[in-house]
Amino acid sequence: MNRKYLAVAPLLVFACVCVFLYLGLFANPREIQTGRLGQQMPEFSLPDLMQDNKQWTDASLKGDVYLLNVWGTWCPTCLAELGYLTKLREQGVKIIGLYYVQGYDADFDGAFDIQALRDEVNDMLQRAGNPYQSNILDLHRTLSLDLGVSGAPETFLVDKNGTILLHHTGDINPRVWRAKFAPKIQELK
Amino acid sequence: MIPEIGYFSLTLAMVLSVLLCIFPLWGAHTGNLRLMRAAPSLAIGQFAFVLISFAALIYASLTDDFTVSYVAYHSSSTLPWYYKITSTWGGHEGAILLWLVMQAGWTAVVAARSKSLPWVLRARVLGVLGFLGVGFMMYTLLLSSPFERLLPYFPVEGRDLNPLLQDPGMIIHPPLLYMGYVGLSVAFSFAIAALLTGKLDNTWAKWSRPWTMTAWGFLSLGITIGSWWAYSELGWGGWWFWDPVENASLMPWLVATALLHSLSVTEKRGVFKSWTVLLAIAAFSLSLLGTFIVRSGIIVSVHAFATDPDRGLFILAFLGIVVGGGLALYAMRVSQVKSEGRYKFVSREVALWLNNIFLVVATLIVLLGTLLPMIHKEMGLGSISIGEPFFDKMFAILIVPFAILMGIGPFLRWKQNKWAFLQNKILMSILLSVVITCAWLFSSYDLVKPLTLLATTLGVYIAVSTLVDIYTKATIHGSLSEGLKRLGVSYWAMVLGHVGMAFVIAGVTLTSAYSVERDVSMKQGEVVKLNQYAYRFEGVKTIRGMNYSGHAGVVSVLQNNELVTQLHAEKRRYDIGMQFMTEAAIDAGFTRDLYLALGEQLSEGAWSLRIYHKPFVRWIWIGGVLIALAGFMILFDKRYRRSAKTSQEAL
Repeated sequence: MNRKYLAVAPLLVFACVCVFLYLGLFANPREIQTGRLGQQMPEFSLPDLMQDNKQWTDASLKGDVYLLNVWGTWCPTCLAELGYLTKLREQGVKIIGLYYVQGYDADFDGAFDIQALRDEVNDMLQRAGNPYQSNILDLHRTLSLDLGVSGAPETFLVDKNGTILLHHTGDINPRVWRAKFAPKIQELK
Repeated sequence: MIPEIGYFSLTLAMVLSVLLCIFPLWGAHTGNLRLMRAAPSLAIGQFAFVLISFAALIYASLTDDFTVSYVAYHSSSTLPWYYKITSTWGGHEGAILLWLVMQAGWTAVVAARSKSLPWVLRARVLGVLGFLGVGFMMYTLLLSSPFERLLPYFPVEGRDLNPLLQDPGMIIHPPLLYMGYVGLSVAFSFAIAALLTGKLDNTWAKWSRPWTMTAWGFLSLGITIGSWWAYSELGWGGWWFWDPVENASLMPWLVATALLHSLSVTEKRGVFKSWTVLLAIAAFSLSLLGTFIVRSGIIVSVHAFATDPDRGLFILAFLGIVVGGGLALYAMRVSQVKSEGRYKFVSREVALWLNNIFLVVATLIVLLGTLLPMIHKEMGLGSISIGEPFFDKMFAILIVPFAILMGIGPFLRWKQNKWAFLQNKILMSILLSVVITCAWLFSSYDLVKPLTLLATTLGVYIAVSTLVDIYTKATIHGSLSEGLKRLGVSYWAMVLGHVGMAFVIAGVTLTSAYSVERDVSMKQGEVVKLNQYAYRFEGVKTIRGMNYSGHAGVVSVLQNNELVTQLHAEKRRYDIGMQFMTEAAIDAGFTRDLYLALGEQLSEGAWSLRIYHKPFVRWIWIGGVLIALAGFMILFDKRYRRSAKTSQEAL
C-alpha cells in the first residue's frame, strides 16, 4: 500500500512543477521592477536622429501620452515589432523612438557618421513600417542608462506630466498590448 | 531552392518518425512482428532526411544566402567559413535542428546496434525514440523553422554571429552537450520500453548501461568545454557561474551520474530496479526541463535566447506529455517490481545507494535554486535572487560526505563486508592523503586556511584511496603487473572517473583559495609584480581580423628577469554588430594560468589591464576530461561489444 503512494509521488511533484512553469510562462518574469516606475522622465537633452539642430528635452515631450520605444537597426526583435507598432500608430498611439547606438566608442571611431546611420534607419523603416513620430538619438546611451534600459527593444509608457507608468522589456505584440498597455491607456482617458 | 529542400526533407523525416512511433509500438502491443521489423529502417531513413535538412542549412550559411532569415541573423559574409558552419547552431532555430540531428542520429545508432535485443523490446525502444522525434520535429516545422525566407526584401549582408560565439570552444560545446542530452533519451526509452514490457530485470539494466555511459561521457565533456569557454571568452576568469543555463546542464549530469551508479547495482545485483527506472526517466526529464528553461525565457539568464511564449508553451506541453506520461506509467507498473538481492549495511549496495542520495540532493538543490526565484514571484512574495553564495555553500557542505564515500566505496564488496578488512585501507588512505596534502600546501603557500586544507585533502584522498584500491585488487593473486591486466574495463572507467573528480575538487579548491587578481593602469614600459611573476607592459598595437578590428595589449611576463611568455590581450570590435569583445590572453600551465584582459584606454597613453594568477585552474578541466573519458571507455568493454557481435552472427 505504502509503495503505491510512493510510486505516484514523482508524478505529483512533477505536476506541481508544471503548474508553476505554466504560470511563469505568462507572468513575464523578464519584467524588471524598475525604480523608475511612477517617477518623472529623467532630465535629458538629446539631438533628433533625422534632423540637424533639433534638440529634445524631457520638458519638450510633456503634454502628450506617448510610448518611448528603445530600439536599433541592429536588433532583430525590434525589426519584428515594427509592424505591430506601425499599426498602433495608425490607431493614434504616439510613439517616440529612442535610438540606441550600439558599440560606438570614440577610442575606435573618431567622429560619428550620422548620415550612414540615417540611411540605414530610413531603409529599415521603409521596409518594415515606420511607427515613429520622431526619433531621439542616444549616441552615448546616457538616457538609456538613466532609464535603466538593459537591452532593446524596451518600451516605456509616459503620461502627459512626464510620469513613467510602464516599463516593458521585450517586444510588443497584440497579447502584451492587450494585457499591459491597453488597460493603462484606458485609465488615462 | 536548397532551403526549401531542407524544409521538405524535414517534413519527410517527420512522416517517418510518426511511422516509427506508431508501427513498432502497435506491433509490440499486438505481437505483429512485421510491424516491429519496420522500425530499424524507419529510424535510419529518418536520420538520413534530417541530415539532408541540416546540410541544407549549412549550405545556405556557407553560401551567404541572406534570403534565409536564420542565416541573415546569425551569419555574415565576412565570417570565417568554420564559423559559418557553427553559426547554424548559434541561434535558436538552428540549435533545435542540431538537436534533431542528434536525436535522429542516436535513434539510428540504437537501431543499428540493438540487433541482439528481443524484438518486442527493440521495437518499443525505437518507438519511444520515434515519439520523441515527432515532438521535436513538429516543434521545428511549426514554430521554429530555420528555413524561413526574408522575401522579397532581404538584406545584402547578415547580422553576423554573436562574437561571444566566435570561439573554438563554441564549435564543439553545443554539439557535445546535445549529444549528452539526447543520449539520455535512449536511457529514457529503454526505461519506458522496460516498463511497457513489464520486465524490469537486470538484462534491461545491462542493455541500457552502455548507452547511458556514452551519453554521460558526452554530457561531461560538453559541460567541461562550456566551462572552459566561459573562462577564456567572457574575460573575467570565472569558470562556473551557476547561471540557469549552466544549471540546466548540471542537473541532468548529476542525475545521470546517479543513474549509471544505480544501473551497475541493478545489473550486477538485481536490486534498486524501480529506483533506477525512475532515475532514467528523471535524467532525460531534466534535459527537457533544461531546454524549456533555456528556450522559453522563463528565467532571466545571460544566455537566454530570443523568447516566444508559443514556443515555451509547446515545449511545456511536450514536457508534460513525455515526462508526465513516463511518470504515470512508472506509477502504474512499478509496484509490481520486486527486489531480489539481499545485502547488509556495510556493502557496496548501500554505498552506492548513499551516492545516489547525495547526487539527488545536489540535483534538488540546483533545481530549487534555479526555480525558486520564479516560484517565489509567482506566489506573490516578491523578487528574490539565488546566486553563487547559496550554491557554493550547499555544494561545499555536500561534497565532504560525498568525497569521503567516494574514497570508501570502491573498497566495498557486494552484499557484505567485514569492517576489519576495510579499516586498514581506509586509515591508510586518510593518513597518506593528510601527509601528502600538508607537505604540498605548507611547502608552497605561506597561509593555509583550515577549509582549504580540508577540501584539498578530500581531493587527494579520493586519488590516494583509488590507488590503494588498484594496488590491493591487482595484488590479490600474485604480481602487480599481472593483476593490473586482469582488472576489467568498467573498473578502469571507475578509476578514471574518480581520479577526474579528485582533480576537479583539488582544482576548484586551490584556484578559489589562491587566485590573485590585480586591476592596474599601465603605461608603456611599466612593470607590475604579482606573485613570482613580473608583468611589463610593452604597449598597444592595432590588430585586424577577418571581421573585426581592435587593439592588442602586449605584456611580457618575466620570472627572475627571464622572459616566460608574451601575452596579447585583445579588445576587439566586430564590424557588423559593433559589439566589443574582450579576448583574454592566457598562458596555460599545469600548475597555474596567467590570465590577462585589456580594459579601456585611460589618459596619457595609459591602459587599464586586469591580471590574474590562477593556480591549478586547469585541473578542473583535466578532471572533466578524465571523467568524460570514463564514460567513453565503456565503448571498449568487451562484455557489451560481444553481445552485439554474437547476435550479428546469428542473423
